[in-house]
Amino acid sequence: MHEDMFPLLNAYLDGELHGTRLRDLELHLSSCEVCRNELKQLRLVSDLLQAVPLPEFLPARRFASNLVLSLPRRRMRELPVQPASLAWWLVPAGLLAAWFFVQTAFMLTSALTAAQMTGLLGQATRWLNGGQETIWFAAVSSLFSNRVGAAQPELSLINTLNVFGVNLLDGYLWQALIVLLYWTWLSIWWFRRRPRSMKMENAN
Amino acid sequence: MALPQIAEDENALIEQAQHGDRNAFGELVSLHYSGVVRVVYRLCGDTGLAEDMAQETFLRAWLNLPSFRPQSSLRNWLYRIAVNATLDVLRRRTDEPLEDEADQMYPDQAAGPETSLIEKERVALLQLAMHSLPEAARSVLVLREYGSLSYQEIASVLDIPVGTVMSRLNYARNRLRELLKSDLLQLENEYA
Repeated sequence: MHEDMFPLLNAYLDGELHGTRLRDLELHLSSCEVCRNELKQLRLVSDLLQAVPLPEFLPARRFASNLVLSLPRRRMRELPVQPASLAWWLVPAGLLAAWFFVQTAFMLTSALTAAQMTGLLGQATRWLNGGQETIWFAAVSSLFSNRVGAAQPELSLINTLNVFGVNLLDGYLWQALIVLLYWTWLSIWWFRRRPRSMKMENAN
Repeated sequence: MALPQIAEDENALIEQAQHGDRNAFGELVSLHYSGVVRVVYRLCGDTGLAEDMAQETFLRAWLNLPSFRPQSSLRNWLYRIAVNATLDVLRRRTDEPLEDEADQMYPDQAAGPETSLIEKERVALLQLAMHSLPEAARSVLVLREYGSLSYQEIASVLDIPVGTVMSRLNYARNRLRELLKSDLLQLENEYA
């Protein structure tokens, strides 16, 4: 019975017993000489420990002043790579891939158009003609097919130049859009990093 | 000053120190130095080492403060750093004797040479008894007796269950009782 109570005596001494356990122990102590004596011994140990004097240490203010002077620069913590950051880094990779694709398509289109205009590839680029007609050229061709016979080569050249110009503009527009998106991403990346390092620099 | 006001002020200082304000950190050091150095001293029994370890504790705290969560207790966090740092050092220098002598700690000569001698012996005996305890039990005892931490707080500082805190404390006090039997008897007579 006493052995069961002994571990609780420490908790009682330290004010860590509450509720029914506290009431049960107090009830037990009121009738048990052995446990009362045990508690008394524990209290004496605690008193003896409290009576051990402390040496003199540096005053807190002086210690703090000395310490503050010797505080090292605080390094920025390396942020752990989080799953979300993978998507974040895929953005510039995707933009670069898109830029590469647009650039290649633009160059190929330009080369084919140039080849068609100069007739370098002969009949090989005939299949392009269907998709290379502007609206105005198609309308003129269908409405005045009998009357423009003599001017057909000139009109065809103007049509081809128009198609080339539109393709060129399209290519540049796409590239400009990709560059704009890339710069936006780069700015966000820069501003997300910058404030923390500036704070740390100012602090040190 | 009311307790909630102190806690609020401390939280404000923590936030400033987290953003690199050294003066705010100095204020926090002033507030907690006494508690930290006492706990460390009771663990190691060496004044010089206690001051060194207090310095090490606050340096580590400064470096790791940005990761400290303000909703937890700064005192307990500091105690955790202090206890770990001190135990690391003590493990490395187990063969070296403790530097402090009892007369360094008990300068009260006014009580007369004989009484003073008895007190010195008692202090020396207590120091020896404390340091004969396994470090796990000693840490719990020091945090309870000199840090005035609750069992829950000790469990949190040492990262152990509350049940383990209770059993280690029980062991430490019983062991001290055996080692200090004669002193306890004398103390009992003084109280009687």
